[in-house]
Amino acid sequence: MSTTHGLIGKSVKRVEDRRFITGHGKYTDDIILPGQTYASFVRSPYAHAKILSVDTNAAASMPGVVAIFTGADVENVNGVPCGWQVNFKNGHHMKEPKHPLLVADKAKHVGDAIAIVIAESQAEAVDAAEAIVVEYEELPAIVDASKAVEDGAPQVHDSAPNNICFDWALGNPIEEVDAAIAASAHVTTLDFVNQRLVPNAIEPRAYNASYDQYNDKYTLYTSTQNPHLIRLLMCAFVLGIPEHRVRVVGPDVGGGFGSKIFHYTEEALLTWCTHKLRRPVKWTSTRSESFLLDAHGRDHITKADMGFDASGNITALRVKTYANLGAYLSTFASCVPSYLHGTLLQGLYTTPKINIDLVAVFTNTTAVDAYRGAGRPEATYLLERLLDLAAHEMNMDPAELRFKNFIPPFDGVTQPGYQTQVALQYDSGNYHGVLEKGLAMLGYEDFRKAQKEAANNGKLLGVGFSTYIEACGIAPSAVVGSLGARAGLYEVGHVRVQPSGKISVYTGAHSHGQGHETTFAQVVADKLGLPMEDVEIVHGDSEAVAFGMGTYGSRSLAVGGSAIIKSLEKVIEKGKKIAAHKFEANPEDVDFVEGRFVVKGTHHSAPFSDIALRAYVPHHYPAGLEPGLDFSSFYDPANFTYPFGCHIAVVEVDKETGKVQLTRFVAVDDVGNIINPMIVEGQIHGGVVQGVGQALFEGAEYDENGQLTNGSYMDYCMPRADDFPMIETASQVTPCPHNPLGVKGAGEAGCIGSTPAVVNAVIDALWSGGHKVKDIRMPLTSERVWRAMQQ
Amino acid sequence: MQLTGNHVVEASPAKVWALLMDTDTLARIVPGVTKLEKIDDTTFKSTLGVKLGPVSAAFNGNLQMENVMEEKGFTLKIQQNSKVGNASAAIEISLTPLEETKTAIAFNGDVKLSGMLATMGQRLIGGVANTLSKQFFSNMEKELLP
Repeated sequence: MSTTHGLIGKSVKRVEDRRFITGHGKYTDDIILPGQTYASFVRSPYAHAKILSVDTNAAASMPGVVAIFTGADVENVNGVPCGWQVNFKNGHHMKEPKHPLLVADKAKHVGDAIAIVIAESQAEAVDAAEAIVVEYEELPAIVDASKAVEDGAPQVHDSAPNNICFDWALGNPIEEVDAAIAASAHVTTLDFVNQRLVPNAIEPRAYNASYDQYNDKYTLYTSTQNPHLIRLLMCAFVLGIPEHRVRVVGPDVGGGFGSKIFHYTEEALLTWCTHKLRRPVKWTSTRSESFLLDAHGRDHITKADMGFDASGNITALRVKTYANLGAYLSTFASCVPSYLHGTLLQGLYTTPKINIDLVAVFTNTTAVDAYRGAGRPEATYLLERLLDLAAHEMNMDPAELRFKNFIPPFDGVTQPGYQTQVALQYDSGNYHGVLEKGLAMLGYEDFRKAQKEAANNGKLLGVGFSTYIEACGIAPSAVVGSLGARAGLYEVGHVRVQPSGKISVYTGAHSHGQGHETTFAQVVADKLGLPMEDVEIVHGDSEAVAFGMGTYGSRSLAVGGSAIIKSLEKVIEKGKKIAAHKFEANPEDVDFVEGRFVVKGTHHSAPFSDIALRAYVPHHYPAGLEPGLDFSSFYDPANFTYPFGCHIAVVEVDKETGKVQLTRFVAVDDVGNIINPMIVEGQIHGGVVQGVGQALFEGAEYDENGQLTNGSYMDYCMPRADDFPMIETASQVTPCPHNPLGVKGAGEAGCIGSTPAVVNAVIDALWSGGHKVKDIRMPLTSERVWRAMQQ
Repeated sequence: MQLTGNHVVEASPAKVWALLMDTDTLARIVPGVTKLEKIDDTTFKSTLGVKLGPVSAAFNGNLQMENVMEEKGFTLKIQQNSKVGNASAAIEISLTPLEETKTAIAFNGDVKLSGMLATMGQRLIGGVANTLSKQFFSNMEKELLP
């Protein structure tokens, strides 16, 4: 297939940005349907409370009210499901308490929905919701996952004793790991919290559900990352509607970061309501609701021990983690701390013995699920903090310690993939390369000199490293199926060549900021030798796209792009047959070169558009060949992809105030082949900012009653442009050996690599001033850093 | 969230006690009270408005006096509900005679906020409570003027 056209690898400007930056994007909240009604919710102000009574009488007679439904009305409707089954160590299924569309008996977190009010206008819905009187009996709440498992702790669900959803272990037998740790010359131990984060997509969640009774057809507009998955979960598990009666559209979506993967109760409830009312029902989350209801990220409490021999080789890693799942199991909540976290604990290192012991716990808090990186940032944070701390404790250089322990380079083609101790087989890697490049960009030796000089002058400079790996391109269906996934994770790519030779591409991946309309068009135009304007990328509509699994886990290009390539190959193969007929040649003698079908060794050639027209006007056509040029393909990846990289942070810490200033950030990422370097760099920048946000600024804070005390932008600190130096990025390219584009994925890399680099840099700065601090709890506020220096 | 404070007023414990036990006076001196209705000797129904930073709330609820010790003190149990969340508190109030016409009034208790009040107002409640208690005592002093 031709790749000489040269669009692949070019920083083409994003075609979708014109509509976004001029305010012409079309989001769910922009959609107003004939007969539109609006919903508002009554939500529990308590984290844990019995609902004694719900009085809707006054509200029902208020102006504009169309209907009110409470928990009693949906008691016989299923709750929203979890998409991944993890089993207890003893083989029993995880606990899956019902997550009802509205709660009738007991509220289990602040914001749990008790009633929905539907009215002619948004204002009338809000007013009526406020007039509903709910009588509660407040119960003691539990917030901390490690305390929730203790006897006597408040119970979130009766069906989950000690609040345990499941326990789980992975890796080498614990006895072997214990023995290896005990025999180690040095053991570095870290007790730490990977704090809870609020996803903060700029567009709040919004849904608009309608029902056409004359055609028995539902339409749900939803701000989602995966419309087909929502349709599958909602139809099959919640409402029991045949999926051909339901169209789900995810129009323009203003950011997801994972939080819009999941099937939320409101999606199903609005769809249920529209059937009852025969009128469209819309709900757009307020920002306060977003803080309380969009599934949060992280929230691990971990103790980890890493053993080393006398020369600094890692001997073993032992991890004990409590993962807070919140009050209900969100769609992928169960796999994030287990299969997306435990499986990454090999990192880039040859650690021979690894064991993770995990307890996944219910608490009276917002549900926790995938958030940019999903499990892999937690694994990376754990490993990279241990590595830098061990270097301090053993008085070794943190870069040297890494070089000593790196898995040697392997390309996955002539050399086999690397089999880890924790189930995965890495595809290809050159880990020395990214660290060497990072050190060169930083000017490492000069930095260490400057750091010493600064320390002599009473200034604290620090450098922190993070050499990360992630499992992306999610995911080979058979593998994830064997691990408990309740769906396949292939992707669909449909290429429809129009009679004029223009191309419509239908992808099951969904763009909510990633730039698919540009990148995918680059790939298709490049492969067909066409200008990009001749290619349209269609996504997000279950009625237009045959099927799809959506966008998360840095999968769109690696899996969705590969499906499109499969269809392009079919288009070209058929085109060759049509061209061969035209020139009275053998199809084997026809090449496709830079947009033309050429008979080898002749001057006979036809442009792509000519062959396309012949396919649709088949007057002179090969016998037995179907007309048309239209192919759909499913691509199921052979393996995950494994992007990796090296992030280095430089910070200055103010001795008097503890304030941390990030002065440099170097990111060398290997995401395999790159289609659009500008988009990759943008993804890295965005990811780094979110990762640094966790290190320095962000964190959801609950009080002991389960109240989120920083649920607004007054109190929840987001990273801002002026907190950052220019991020210095570079690429290394180690192609993925098992997909046709050789791509690995770039969406999460920045967020996975950056967090530990920054925390390590602050710790390094403190050690340079003689403060031998092991850990500071994130976010590293001035106060926390200052207090650490006073110890 | 813990609330503590004290204040010395120029009046005897008996006078202060009488004032605290009088519903109409109490309605005048407690900041934000728009309605105070006595249900029985120790129970009141109230309507009050409080502004907590960005959140303004109209509360409806009960005030309940417990452990009443004549001229010495009582525990005030508060349960107030609003559209933006609820507040509950148990506050011990004690009167200590200092001189014949001076009384030290001390309060100590725990306030729990829920819902939007907790999310938006937690950080501000200390300052707001401080202001409200100052207003309360200054109102009380006005009432005690001869």
